[in-house]
Amino acid sequence: MPVPDRPVRRLYIHVPFCSHKCHYCDFYSIVDTLDRQRAFTDRLIEELTALAPWSAGGSLCSVFVGGGTPTLLRTELWGELLAAIDRLFDLSTIRAGLGEFTVECNPESATEELFQTLVAGGVDRLSVGAQSFNSRHLHTLERRHDPVNVARALTLARQCGIKRTSIDLIYAVPGQTVDDWAADLGEALSLGVGHVSCYNLTYEPNTAMTKRLGRGDFDPIDEQTEIDMHTLAVATLGGAGLRRYEVSNFARPGQESDHNLGYWRQEQWLAAGPSASAHVAGHRWKNVPRLGDYLKIDDGGFAAIIDHEPPDAPRLLRERVMTGLRLTEGIEASPILEEVRTLGDAAAALSMERLAGVYVARGLMRAGDRWALTDGGFLLADGIAAEFMALIPEST
Amino acid sequence: MTEIRNFSIIAHIDHGKSTLADRLMQATHAVSDREARQQLLDSMDLERERGITIKASAVTVHHRHDGEDFMLNFIDTPGHVDFSYEVSRSLKACEGAILVVDAAQGVEAQTVVNAYLAIEQNLEIIPVLNKIDLPTARPDEIAMEIEQVLGLPAEDCIEVSAKTGQGIDALLAAICTKFPPPRDPLTDKARALIFDAIYDDYRGVVVYVRVFDGRLKVGDKIRMMGLDRTFNVTELGKHTPKPTKVDALGAGETGYLIAAIKMLGDIRVGDTITIDADPALEPLEGYEPPHQMVFCDFYPATDTAGKGADFEELRRAMEKLRLNDSSFTYQAVHSEALGFGFRCGFLGLLHMDIIQERLEREGGVHIIQTAPTVSYEVDVRGKGGKIKTIEVHNPADLPDAGVIEAFKEPVCKVEIMTPKKHIGDLMKLCMDRRGTFKNQMYVSDTRDMLTFEIPLAEIIYDFYDKLKGITAGYGTMDYDITHYRKDNLVKIDILINGEPVHALAVIIHRDRAQQRGRHLLMRLRKQIPRHNFEIPLQAAIGGKIIARETIKGFRKDVTAKCYGGDVTRKRKLLEKQKKGKSRMKSVGSVQIPQEAFMAVLEQE
Ligand SMILES: Nc1nc2c(ncn2[C@@H]2O[C@H](COP(=O)(O)OP(=O)(O)O)[C@@H](O)[C@H]2O)c(=O)[nH]1
Repeated sequence: MPVPDRPVRRLYIHVPFCSHKCHYCDFYSIVDTLDRQRAFTDRLIEELTALAPWSAGGSLCSVFVGGGTPTLLRTELWGELLAAIDRLFDLSTIRAGLGEFTVECNPESATEELFQTLVAGGVDRLSVGAQSFNSRHLHTLERRHDPVNVARALTLARQCGIKRTSIDLIYAVPGQTVDDWAADLGEALSLGVGHVSCYNLTYEPNTAMTKRLGRGDFDPIDEQTEIDMHTLAVATLGGAGLRRYEVSNFARPGQESDHNLGYWRQEQWLAAGPSASAHVAGHRWKNVPRLGDYLKIDDGGFAAIIDHEPPDAPRLLRERVMTGLRLTEGIEASPILEEVRTLGDAAAALSMERLAGVYVARGLMRAGDRWALTDGGFLLADGIAAEFMALIPEST
Repeated sequence: MTEIRNFSIIAHIDHGKSTLADRLMQATHAVSDREARQQLLDSMDLERERGITIKASAVTVHHRHDGEDFMLNFIDTPGHVDFSYEVSRSLKACEGAILVVDAAQGVEAQTVVNAYLAIEQNLEIIPVLNKIDLPTARPDEIAMEIEQVLGLPAEDCIEVSAKTGQGIDALLAAICTKFPPPRDPLTDKARALIFDAIYDDYRGVVVYVRVFDGRLKVGDKIRMMGLDRTFNVTELGKHTPKPTKVDALGAGETGYLIAAIKMLGDIRVGDTITIDADPALEPLEGYEPPHQMVFCDFYPATDTAGKGADFEELRRAMEKLRLNDSSFTYQAVHSEALGFGFRCGFLGLLHMDIIQERLEREGGVHIIQTAPTVSYEVDVRGKGGKIKTIEVHNPADLPDAGVIEAFKEPVCKVEIMTPKKHIGDLMKLCMDRRGTFKNQMYVSDTRDMLTFEIPLAEIIYDFYDKLKGITAGYGTMDYDITHYRKDNLVKIDILINGEPVHALAVIIHRDRAQQRGRHLLMRLRKQIPRHNFEIPLQAAIGGKIIARETIKGFRKDVTAKCYGGDVTRKRKLLEKQKKGKSRMKSVGSVQIPQEAFMAVLEQE
């Protein structure tokens, strides 16, 4: 097990339960027919207990509970979980309002009782999976909530003292028009959230939706419409004061998701729960994805892991470029180039500079030492990042 | 007293030249039945496969006719007019030629071109109708064709079957009686013509000679009159067909000579050999260097794993092959698109194919070949208005259009033998290829022979395939380069993202430039992967754009979500996306897989 040289100050917890498996979603989640919530919570607390020493000596600056649908976890179990977190980790920074404790929330499962429990446990940010306010498109996505519940959940959260709110929206849903999308964006803004994530519908391999697409059950949105929707989101949200700070994320100044920025800036975080990914001291790994395995295998409290990647300077550099270019702030070029040279590949560093030159005015801005994508460049973030990454030598 | 006969066999491909040669040797007991089965005159696999003979050599056999002893020297000729220079050189060593025509197929284009070469050399010709054992043989009709087209009396044709041996005795008799003996010596000084040379790993260069005057002996110090170099003869001999040493070769005789010559480059086929101590005053008829008419670049190709693109390996293979074939030239070049390679010159298209195949087969290298170009003559105005003619066979070497006085290209006399019903379509094809109609000749009730003048550049560009297509495979063609002609020729540059790609530049007639330019761009567009930005493709003459295409840039590829903390998964996706692209060549900041160039060039 890796030993971090500094306390890890971020924590991700994955709650795998869903009331229904949405057709487009490829996150690990299950419809829990066996009622394993109790077993899960116990096992999770055990894992957190094992992980906690890595955080000792530092107070957490962010906790993020995602899923699945975390709010499906019964309130009493939430109470136990939050108490355990409080006991095992130092939440002083978060409780002082200088950190961030987010829980993902399904609009249907919002209750006053739950929210009060969350607030008591230190939760100060709620991310609501609205996806759309249009019933037809929700139906296509197989989301079963009533759109009015989004507003209800947000109001309730604020009443209960959750200060920061965010909603997720999905666009490029088959059958959606640019006008439909404009309506969704307007609706989102009217809710007064400080943060919005706009994801284009992605056809992930092995999802039911992708199979249906393959069968020709429906037509995907054409490229131009998708670009128009993307551009509209940037303009509408930006116009309302929600600045884009990452490809798909918009926030009022100061309302950015600090936890997610931690991922994208290659910081360390602990991860608990099935399929959760961790990054500690240059190591990356993932917990076993299946709940059954997660419950069964107990490695001194730790979960069994898969896909472990030990520290590797070229890999870390590639990741830095990949996630960094997705941020509006971009990447700092000279330290990256310097590291590439240190890896013994001066030619690669030169090629990277040349490539940056190629993309200037084609999607990349160079501002001082920073390389950052423009609005146009963000549309091509994957391809551009891939080209830079390809230039970074493999470790030998 | 032994009579000598020197002769060649000429034929259209597959009409039975090799089989007949074997049969003749067998009939003179030069080879056993078993050996006859392995066609001895052809020594290379490749020739066997393609049914052509690349390397000339000479075989000597003895035959008794009418109580007299005859020494028959078979001088083998290459079977395709790509090598017309080599053919006529071999014919120079002969007094007679056997013209073999398949009695089922009839006179074909190559028959005609080869027969013309023999007639030009004043050789006595014996027309032979072969394969008369075939039920489809039509000897009488084909004899009429020979008379019609070549003016050789039909009744002179000898009917044979190289397969069954029928008619072979009559043919041997005709060889002895119809072919004239070698001319009388004109001088007592030795003069021998080098009509071929091959490289042998053990013996070095083996030179084939025909002695016209005087004699050559082992131990002689000989002088090559053209190159003015001397060598000491260590061995003289004849292939009977096994190599058999002799002490001397006298006037009229044919044989081989070994003289510690290391490289084919050290001698010249066509040169005259004399004795250093007692030299002839004049060489035999003038030496003509082989002329490379078709040029292209060879680059080492990468395989799918990106391995094997080894320039040094290619260089070694070229050097080795050059030892065997001094009639192709090569010179190192570098292309922004394809890396390091060689610009090569060939006698013709077939020669180019053969060299490429041999490099790949014998040298074990994979080759990308650029589109062939011909050798142009360009009159350039120099300082003080002086006109100088330069040879250009690489579009990149073309001087500025401003200083070009005249741009001349090689023009061929093309003979096409075709069923009559396709004449209209063939006329159209030849006109499309800037051809000039010269003649139409009756061959038989069903076939005609057409003669055109067509620029070589138009022939090397899929002309043969088109002809075969139009005539459903029944048409045959052959060509001989006759002269250079001035025309309105231009260079098309291909620009990718504003940068010219020299490997794709072509020289072409102005009238066809736009069509060809557009064609090339369309193919390129299909081959170059989309980029994150728009890529303009342009074809230009001078600075003027004559065609353009655009490869649209990707407009959107970003996937919204970075999968929570699962950075690994996203990274792997992006790494996969770029995998295999490291072998791309970069032109004007556009990444182009080598295969794209290959595909564009191969279709040329
Ligand atoms: N039936 C028949 N076939 C022959 C005869 N002479 C040659 N062939 C066949 O015709 C083909 C071409 O013969 P080849 O000697 O290789 O032709 P080349 O290209 O002129 O040297 C071979 O398949 C021979 O076996 C013949 O007299 N009768």
